[in-house]
Amino acid sequence: MASASTARHGAPGDQGPRVRRSRGPLDPRLVRRGSATRWFLVASVAVGCVNAALTLAQAWLVAHAIAGVFATRTLDGVGTAAAMLAAVFVGKAALGWAGDWLAQRASAAVKSQLRRDIVTARLARPLDAGAASGGLITLVTQGLDALDGYYAKYLPQLVLAVTVPLIIGVAILTADLTSAIIVALTLPLIPVFMALVGWTTEARTQKRWRVQTRLANHFADLVAGLPTLQVFGRARAQLEGLRRTQSAHRAETMATLRLSFLSALVLELLSTLSVALVAVTIGFRVVAGDLDLATALFVLVLAPEAYLPVRQVGAHYHDAADGTAAAASAFALIEGADQDGGSGHRPSPAPAPDRAGSASLVAVRDLGHTYPGADDPAVAGVTFDVTPGAFVVLTGPSGGGKTTVLNALLGFLEPTAGSVLVDGHRLDATTLPAWRRRVAYVGQNPGMVNGDVAGNVRLGFPAATDDQVRDALRDAGAPELAPDHSVGDDGEGLSSGERRRVATARALLRIRLGGADVLLLDEPTAGLDSGAEIALLDTLRSSGVTAVVVSHRRRVIERADAVVRIEPADPREDVR
Amino acid sequence: MNSTLTLLRSLLGTVDRGRGRLIASVLLAAAASGASVALMGVAAWLLSRAAEHPPVMYLTAAAVGVRAFGISRGVFRYLERLVGHDVALRMQSALRLETYATLAATTLLGRRRGDLLTRVVADVDAVLDAVVRVIVPFASGGVVILGTTAAIAAFDPLDALVLLASSVVAAAFAPWLARRLSRDADAEAVPARGALADAVHEISRTAPDLVAYGAEDAYLDRMLAVDGRLRRAEQRAAWVRGVATAIQTLGAGFAVVAALVIGSHAVADGRLGRTMLAVLVLVPLALHEVFADFAKAAQTLTRASAALRRVQAVLDAPPVGRGDLDAAAHDPSPAIDLDDVTVGWPGHEPLLTGFDLHVRDGERVALVGPSGVGKTTVAATILGLIPPQAGDVRTRGRLGYLAQDAHLFATSVAENVKIGNKDAAAEQVAAALSSAGLPIDPDRLVGELGATISGGEARRLAASRLLVGDYQAVILDEPSEHLDPATADALLDDLWAAMAGRPMLVITHDPDVVARCDRVVRLDRADAGAAGPAGGRFGV
Repeated sequence: MASASTARHGAPGDQGPRVRRSRGPLDPRLVRRGSATRWFLVASVAVGCVNAALTLAQAWLVAHAIAGVFATRTLDGVGTAAAMLAAVFVGKAALGWAGDWLAQRASAAVKSQLRRDIVTARLARPLDAGAASGGLITLVTQGLDALDGYYAKYLPQLVLAVTVPLIIGVAILTADLTSAIIVALTLPLIPVFMALVGWTTEARTQKRWRVQTRLANHFADLVAGLPTLQVFGRARAQLEGLRRTQSAHRAETMATLRLSFLSALVLELLSTLSVALVAVTIGFRVVAGDLDLATALFVLVLAPEAYLPVRQVGAHYHDAADGTAAAASAFALIEGADQDGGSGHRPSPAPAPDRAGSASLVAVRDLGHTYPGADDPAVAGVTFDVTPGAFVVLTGPSGGGKTTVLNALLGFLEPTAGSVLVDGHRLDATTLPAWRRRVAYVGQNPGMVNGDVAGNVRLGFPAATDDQVRDALRDAGAPELAPDHSVGDDGEGLSSGERRRVATARALLRIRLGGADVLLLDEPTAGLDSGAEIALLDTLRSSGVTAVVVSHRRRVIERADAVVRIEPADPREDVR
Repeated sequence: MNSTLTLLRSLLGTVDRGRGRLIASVLLAAAASGASVALMGVAAWLLSRAAEHPPVMYLTAAAVGVRAFGISRGVFRYLERLVGHDVALRMQSALRLETYATLAATTLLGRRRGDLLTRVVADVDAVLDAVVRVIVPFASGGVVILGTTAAIAAFDPLDALVLLASSVVAAAFAPWLARRLSRDADAEAVPARGALADAVHEISRTAPDLVAYGAEDAYLDRMLAVDGRLRRAEQRAAWVRGVATAIQTLGAGFAVVAALVIGSHAVADGRLGRTMLAVLVLVPLALHEVFADFAKAAQTLTRASAALRRVQAVLDAPPVGRGDLDAAAHDPSPAIDLDDVTVGWPGHEPLLTGFDLHVRDGERVALVGPSGVGKTTVAATILGLIPPQAGDVRTRGRLGYLAQDAHLFATSVAENVKIGNKDAAAEQVAAALSSAGLPIDPDRLVGELGATISGGEARRLAASRLLVGDYQAVILDEPSEHLDPATADALLDDLWAAMAGRPMLVITHDPDVVARCDRVVRLDRADAGAAGPAGGRFGV
């Protein structure tokens, strides 16, 4: 069922999740979302600061205990120092535990919220085939996990990178001015280098993310197409192409990593060398008698701690870059839904209610639609009326835009020209929900949810009884289909004819029990054999509802009250 | 766990000089960690010795050592990351190829597609984590522990023993405990992730129906329930990771406090030079820093193992059907012969029994029957995608098949056509397209699931694959579906002309198509009502 998508005239493929340039690791949209987890972030920072204070105590205790033994060669005070050190370590252990827990809570809340927003956006544009399924799944699962590093590590660490060096630096300053100056001079170099490196690698990181997304789709595409490839004896032959893709991907990734790791090298070099510099400097000042051993050891233990938070910001910088790249894809999808208003939620430009069609239930006036990125309109200049209770057939050559017209009637897409009026009112955000409640719809290739046949039929009316489901199935021409027959992914387990009849039964339930009085059917008899076709059409005619049906079939057209022929749009015609 | 190691080992074997690359990255990682431990140890000695106010020349060597360790740590780390990632990416590619090759050799019907996506894309990626974030850190950590313990033992064996014990607690016991405790949570996370992928896939696939029937909120809630399950699993894992972090900190504290007490006694007793006391106390501090990420690494191992086990399950699943159809089998008199065949999916109820079908040269046979009786399964059996459950299937000549739902690949139209004949020249592709009634630009790109192409165009594009290749016998599955009568007639005319003189089996219910055939074979259910329609599913 691979090629058959409900959205025959979906948006072109290049309208997929656009990977925009991210707005740096402190994307304001991400920080705003952080408000959902503000208290977790504040608590994380508080834990980090108390931890720094305990590190001070630990360094002081270690330095003075060693210096004491060094000077006296006795055990005076060692017992007390050991006991206090043990207490400090217990405190640090407790804080470490709390820190891990808080970090996870911080990112989990944001991830859940983004997942909801992404899927809501997808549902707001039901036809958006551009939101390639493979890419969407990758984004919602692994892609958003990249935000773990962002909220759990990067954001708190960013604050700690300022507060902890300040705490440690003041402590070193009270002990030894020269060491404090070395730290104060070298420490700011790290953010400077970080900014430089981040600035130079961001474009590459974005590129890497795009390559990976493309690869994910390439893989999914190959796997989904395996039955087709096997029939043509070409499945194994793709292995060579896949090998090349893989090899190119590895080369691309390694090139990026060489650059990314280079920044880590600079950061580590700078911080470790600074510690070495401090150690050697204080060593020679101890020889000269300018500094006592206790102070020297205190500074030696503390010096790496001053650099640690900054280094960790550097280490998490690429987590953050991955996170913001993933977030950029997510925001592109979410904001795309807001902007495009694909389901007709955009305020209509100057409706000018057309009372001419007031006798009609549905009045289509000079309807035209051009898909984003397409040069020519898919359909143009369509005008027709549907009176209550009428059976209207839309017909015309393949690719002529019949499905596009039907999608406009459903409000799945907002036409770029003309209008659809329901009871004299233009379809928009306010009229659409009520209109959709009146409509029962069977698509060209109806979507089947996982579960069983009954579950799929009950989409039409969730409270339907077993008997009502069975009746609907019978009237839809599928009396032999067991309601508990299981339906797998992509409607697996049902033939395409059966899928269509299940969808028809679904529509019948919505009309009989759900109060719908308008049927919109896209090629309802495709995939049905003759007997079932006649049975279904008779059922439709007898139900007395208003019906708009897309079909080429002679038998269908013969039964229509009105036939609307939809020709391919003439590209020369000015549709604006 | 063992199966993971076996899988990784076999992957390593397929990588060019894989073992050497892996060992190199472990040694480089050990050198990087060792440098930071040595930096602290030598610096501690330098300060202590300096406190004895010796001539400066006695300190020069130590000062040089401190600076050298300060530089080498970053350099070693950089090299280790590059070498480690390189070997891991090579293994990952190898596994992707192996997974694809395995899937290519079996029939894929009945597998849940969203889950399969996760398997192939996400689960295979676990190789990278397993190598870079588990194997290399743990192996190099072991090397550093042994080296440091040996060095300390030269001065104080008792303290070395304590250091070894605390290191084992922090580097092995704590991660092991974390892994053990969080195994359930992590194991739960992997299927939850798969379920999340399934849920998103389902919504994405059925969006128009869900929106039209006002069910979008219910399905959004369902997806969020799966998300909640995943979140709770990840939360439990984080909680346990916290316990492990705490134990590690306590291990470091134990090593430092014990070193202080043991070392002080040794100095007081005169067994140890006083300049070594700072070394004994500060080295454990630096060494335990190396283990900081080990608890997380152990949990990564659990996740990676679960993912790789699933990949292994795909690799181990016995193939169904024969994968690729044999291509070149040209025959002077192509034919399709089925004698007393039982049609059905392996391990499932038969759909048809005692089925005879003979299609000779130039014969066009229509295969009709109620929907769901198993017509497509018959086609799969004739094609050899699945074996007959009984009876004899013989075909002669090169078999072509126009599927009811032929997949369109997200590439150019031309590449899609060339599936039928990879060597086709541009003119042949254009000719096939125009014969199929689809005069579109061959360089045009096809969106995922053929979304930029209409239903009729998709069918014609699929048909042009048959026209571009030299197919001696063809099975057409509902060839007129989705086409308006005029276009269908035109397409059938072209197909009939192109396939003239070749045996043709046409699965259809369209009377117009049946009328074009020489004879009709009608299918009836093997056991009306009992055998589920199209029950062609198999589990993994």
